[in-house]
Amino acid sequence: MIRNRTSRRGAFAATACLALATTLGACGLGSDTASGEGDDEIVIGVSLPLTGDFSEPGKGVQRGYEAWAAYVNENGGLLGKQVRLEILDDQSSADRVASDYEKLINQDGVDLVFGPFSTRLVVPAAQVAEDYGFLFVEPAGAAEEVFTQGFENLFYAAPAIADDHYNLLAEAIIAMPESERPETAAYATMDDPFAQGTAYGLKGKLEAAGIKTVADEVYPPNTTDFSSIAAKIADTKADIVVGGTQYQDAVNLIVALQQLDFQPEMAAFSTAPTNPEFPKAIGSKTEGILSPTGYTPEASYPENQAFVEFYTDMFGNPPSEDEANAWTTGEVVAAAVEAVGCADPSQECQQQLIDHLRDATVDTVVGPLSWDAQGRPESAHLIQQYVDGEIRIVLPEDQAEAELITVKPAW
Amino acid sequence: MSGSLLLQSLILGVLLGGLYALLAAGLTLYFGVMRVVMIAHSAFLILAAYLAWWFQGETGIDPLVSLLVTVPLFFVIGYVMQRLLLSRLRPASLTMMSVLLTFAIALVIEGGLGYVFSGTQRRIQLDYSSSSIEVLGANIAVVKLIAFALAGVALVGLWALMKLTRFGQALRATIQHPEAARLLGVNTDRIAGFGFGLGLATAAIGGTALSLDSTIYPSLHWHWIGPLMAIIVVGGLGSIPGAAIAAMVLGISQSLLQIPLGTTWAQTVFYVALFATLMVRPQGFFGGRLAQRF
Repeated sequence: MIRNRTSRRGAFAATACLALATTLGACGLGSDTASGEGDDEIVIGVSLPLTGDFSEPGKGVQRGYEAWAAYVNENGGLLGKQVRLEILDDQSSADRVASDYEKLINQDGVDLVFGPFSTRLVVPAAQVAEDYGFLFVEPAGAAEEVFTQGFENLFYAAPAIADDHYNLLAEAIIAMPESERPETAAYATMDDPFAQGTAYGLKGKLEAAGIKTVADEVYPPNTTDFSSIAAKIADTKADIVVGGTQYQDAVNLIVALQQLDFQPEMAAFSTAPTNPEFPKAIGSKTEGILSPTGYTPEASYPENQAFVEFYTDMFGNPPSEDEANAWTTGEVVAAAVEAVGCADPSQECQQQLIDHLRDATVDTVVGPLSWDAQGRPESAHLIQQYVDGEIRIVLPEDQAEAELITVKPAW
Repeated sequence: MSGSLLLQSLILGVLLGGLYALLAAGLTLYFGVMRVVMIAHSAFLILAAYLAWWFQGETGIDPLVSLLVTVPLFFVIGYVMQRLLLSRLRPASLTMMSVLLTFAIALVIEGGLGYVFSGTQRRIQLDYSSSSIEVLGANIAVVKLIAFALAGVALVGLWALMKLTRFGQALRATIQHPEAARLLGVNTDRIAGFGFGLGLATAAIGGTALSLDSTIYPSLHWHWIGPLMAIIVVGGLGSIPGAAIAAMVLGISQSLLQIPLGTTWAQTVFYVALFATLMVRPQGFFGGRLAQRF
C-alpha cells in the first residue's frame, strides 16, 4: 500500500515535471540535483496554481518569479550564486499545495521557498513551511484569516491586507468638508474573505466618522443576476456605493446600477477596475470609478522602474499586479538573504532570515515594506480613478497622477 | 420598503422570469420527447453566448444577427447529437445514462471554450448596454427588454410549431405515445432528432439573450443548470407552458424575496420549490398527465 502510494506520487511528480519542462525548460526530475550541495546555485521551491481555478493569476505570479530570477542572475546572483526556481503545479488544490511544499522542502531539499497564489492555497502552504521552520514570504494571501493562524514565519509581500485596501480613500473622504462629504453609503460585497474584507474595512471607518450605512448586501460568489441588488441600492439613493468585489460581479453590478439610472456621487469597487478587460466590458461609462490597487507600473520607486523595463523586455508588455507581487516576494527574500548572508535550509539560517524581516524595512517595487508580528504589511494601497478615460492614481497625494474627483460624472 | 422599489423589483422579476422560461424551454422539450436529462443544455447556452460575443467583437455587428447562423447550426448539432449519440443508449437506462453522456458533453464544451477563448471573463459591450426606459418611476433596461422579447417570440413560435404544424402534431404524438405514433406512420426516430434539434435551437436564442446582459466565462453553465432543472421539475417535466409558468413564478418570487431576505436566501427559492414539488406533487404543478408517465 505504501509502495503504491509512493509510486503514484512519483508518477504525479514525473507528469507535473514533464508538463513543466516544456514551459520552464528545467525540471529537477532527479531530485538530488536540487539539494543545496551544488554550492554554485540557490534553489527556490514554489508551488503555483498553473491549472485549475486560479490558473490565470497563477501564471502571472509565475512570470513575476521568473522575471525576478532572471534579473537577479543577470546582476550577479544572490550571495554570488545563481538562483534557480523549482516550480510545481498544485492545480489550484489546497491538498496538492501542501504536499508540493512537503516535497520541495523534504525530498528536493530546496534552499528557500516562495509562497503560492490565493488565500486558500497560502494558508495550507504556510503551515508546511512553518512545520519545517522555513521563512515564508507570499504574494497573494491578503485576507485577514491568513494572519490569525498564528504563523511566525509568514510575511505578505504587498502594501496592505484586504481590510486596509480602502484606507487612503477613507482618509480622503473623512477629511472632506462636512458640507461636501457623503452622508450615506451603500455596500455590496461578495461572500468571500478577501472581497468582504476590502468593503468592510472602509465601512468601519466611514461609520465611525458618522457616514450612515443605508444598504449592506452580501451575495454568494455564484450570483449572476445583479439587477435586484442594484434596485435595492438605487432605492436608498446612497451618496457613495462601495463594492467588495472580484471581476464579474463588479461589472454586472455596475451595469445593473447604470441601467437603473442611479447616479451616486462616488463609486468604488475593488479588483475589477484595474483589470484590462474592465473598460472593454463597461465601455465609455467608467469615468470617476474608484479602485484600490497594490501596484502600478507608473509608480516612481527606483526599484519599480528597473522592474518595468526588465519585465517589458522579457515578456513584451508591462507587468500587472500579480507579476509585481511575485517580484516583490523575490525582493523581500533577497533583502533578508543579503542582510543575513545565508540561504540554506538549516534551522539557524531560516530563523535568522525570519528574525531579520521582523524588524526590517525593505525597498520594493510597491514602495518600502515593513510588517507587524503576524506578517501584515504596514503600508497602504494606492487609490486609482478613471479620469478622462484613463486609470490614474489619485491617492496618496505624493504619488498622484491626477486629482481625486469627489463628484463622479454621470455614468 | 418603498412602493417604487416594489414596482421595480416586480418588473425585474417579470423580465427575469421570461429569460428563465426561454432558457428552460429546451430542457423540458428533451425530457418530453425522449426522457433525456440534458445536463449540457446550459453549456450550449454559454456556447451560443460566446459565439454572439465573438461575432460582435469580430464584425462589430449587433450580436442578435448571429442568431441567423447559430439557430440553424444548433438545430443541426442537436439533430446529429440525438441520432449519433443519444439514440444509441439503451431505453431501459436511457434517463440515467443520458445524464452521464450529456455531462461529458458539457465538460467538452467548457474545456473547448476555455481553450479557444481562455478563462477570461467577457461581456458584450453595446451602445445600449446601460440604456433604460422609464415607466412609472421604474427603469426597464433595454437589453433586458430585448431578451424578454426574444423569449416571447421564441416561446410563441415554439407553441405555434407544436400546435399548428404537421411536424408539431407528429412531435406531440411522439411525446404522448411513441408506439401509437409509429403505427400511424410517424417516423418517431427522425421526429425525436428534430425535437432535440428544436430544443438546442432554443438554446441558441437563449444564450444570445443571456449574452446581452451577462458577463460570461466557460464554467458559467454550472450556475445555470440547477435553477433550470428546478424550473422544469416544478413546471412538470415535458410541459413547455408548465416550464414557462414555473419560470415566471420563480423569477418574480426570487426578485421580490430579494428585498426582505437578501441574495443568498432569495436564490434558495428554486430549491425550496423543487423539494416542495417533489414532496407534494412529484409530477410537477403544470405538467398534467404527460409528466405522470415518467
